[in-house]
Amino acid sequence: MEENVIVIEGLSKNYKRWFSSKGTKALDNLTISVPRGSVFGFLGPNGAGKTTTIKILMDLIKPTTGSAFVLGKPSYDVDVKKRIGFLPDSPAFSRQLTAREFLNICAKLLRIPSEQRNETVEEALHTVKMAEHAREKLGSFSRGMLQRIGVAQAILNKPELLILDEPLLGLDPYGRQEFKQIIIDQQKKGTSVFFSSHILSDVEEICDRIAILKKGHLLCTGELDKLLAASGINVVITPGEDKVFKELMTDAEGSVKNPDGGWTLSFPHNNPELLKKIEDMKKESPDALAISASREKLEDFFFRTVENANV
Amino acid sequence: MNEIITIASGTWKNVLRMKVVYFLILCALVLVASAINYDVLSMGLQKELMIDVSLVLNSIAAMLVVISLTFEIPKELREGVASTLLSKPLGRFQYLIGKMFGCIVTGAVICALIAVGSFFIFNMSFGERIGVTMFQTHLLVILALIPMSALGVLFAVLLPEVIAPIITVVVVWFAFSTKFLAGIPVLYGGILPDLDLFNFRANAVYQVQIPWMYVLLVTLWGICYAAFALSLASIVFERKDIK
Ligand SMILES: Nc1ncnc2c1ncn2[C@@H]1O[C@H](COP(=O)(O)OP(=O)(O)OP(=O)(O)O)[C@@H](O)[C@H]1O
Ligand SMILES: [Mg+2]
Repeated sequence: MEENVIVIEGLSKNYKRWFSSKGTKALDNLTISVPRGSVFGFLGPNGAGKTTTIKILMDLIKPTTGSAFVLGKPSYDVDVKKRIGFLPDSPAFSRQLTAREFLNICAKLLRIPSEQRNETVEEALHTVKMAEHAREKLGSFSRGMLQRIGVAQAILNKPELLILDEPLLGLDPYGRQEFKQIIIDQQKKGTSVFFSSHILSDVEEICDRIAILKKGHLLCTGELDKLLAASGINVVITPGEDKVFKELMTDAEGSVKNPDGGWTLSFPHNNPELLKKIEDMKKESPDALAISASREKLEDFFFRTVENANV
Repeated sequence: MNEIITIASGTWKNVLRMKVVYFLILCALVLVASAINYDVLSMGLQKELMIDVSLVLNSIAAMLVVISLTFEIPKELREGVASTLLSKPLGRFQYLIGKMFGCIVTGAVICALIAVGSFFIFNMSFGERIGVTMFQTHLLVILALIPMSALGVLFAVLLPEVIAPIITVVVVWFAFSTKFLAGIPVLYGGILPDLDLFNFRANAVYQVQIPWMYVLLVTLWGICYAAFALSLASIVFERKDIK
């Protein structure tokens, strides 16, 4: 079995305009891989090229150069799609069809045997909590309801790999909670998930890996824990140790007063002198301060990475 | 094959569920029935007028169905319906054939309803049986849907969204009167279909039967043309970026 469910190598995409030689460069030499079994968050500001990448993976858009492999097959392989679930960025389906009919069409296209089809459709409708709307036409659905149907059609075939473009968009707080549960359940079943999102708190909660993209360039990719842990250290100062506090306060990046009257100061990793100074103080008076690796919030990490990048 | 039928059935369900379709069919039949009132205009030839009107209206209905296809394909591409379908194990060529089949079936149902309605009105008005020729000519209108819908698919993927329906109308209109196009040898029956092959209004009016062999041959020609137009469409469509 392949190690990686998605392998993207040197992918570039230039959208050509009709009457101009210069197009829009949406992706520039992108290389990412997604290991089997992971939940991978694909992040980046608007226009970073997330949708473009995802559409190339689904062979809806042809890359200018480079190649993409899904489940070990080139992205243009038609049969491999039987093993993938996909949610497009703005799900739109034939308005005159009812939810159940639409899912039935999808099930047929996914080559689910006819004797299992009804059961599979009902199960998917149930999973996304849309069973009571199964007989209503899609044209009458709200944005979030369509999103739910979109998720339902993506999980119909019990896919090995889920590729979702902004699955949280348009969902209410309940919907977001349910969606996260669906993803966690899918991961337990062994499904790998690759999705783009702007809701960083949710990404932090469910993803084990991320990649950040800006203007078509990859800024970073890797395990979430490692990326966030590498960002600095926290120093907790015992209440009453004002001398230590005053000495360190000026160099700290951030300071938070603790409920017990002490302080938590955060320091960046990239200042060896400062780190040395903290270590020395710790040796001098071990009770005055406690050092721990700080885990940055994904949101802070995202802003820092995107703003520091010069692309 | 199953994929093609699935796409096609989605298409015809979508169209045949619109109430406006049946309203238009009813309007067409009212127009056919009103031919009986035009005794002055038709100088006593109400029967012939009615046959002619029913055929013209049926051809227009077929054309409208094809035009709706040239609206629908770009709309599905723009709104992302196509990308949902194409993310399933479905080839792009299969998608196009499915759309074409869907259009042919939709058109056939609508045209058959108009034809049967016309026969009924004709029978009620003149108390005459429906001749073979009248049946044949309406059948040819339905068969003309084969090359016409292939042409619609071709224009829908080849041309920008707003232009496709307009060009389709113009081309189909001229293709029905190829005397005009006959001067342009490359176009005539070549890139553009010679839809005049399916037009036998004169025969219908004067009740001159058409040889069944001809109907068969012209059907074969329609299928060949459809294969040609669809291959051309798929060459373009395979390379297209889908929103
Ligand atoms: N069909 C298109 N034609 C021309 N340019 C396009 C097209 N689609 C996208 N682009 C351009 O490609 C770039 C990347 O777009 P893309 O949709 O991939 O971004 P995204 O990361 O999905 O953004 P968002 O977070 O807003 O969804 C943008 O600069 C956009 O303008
Ligand atoms: Mg996007």
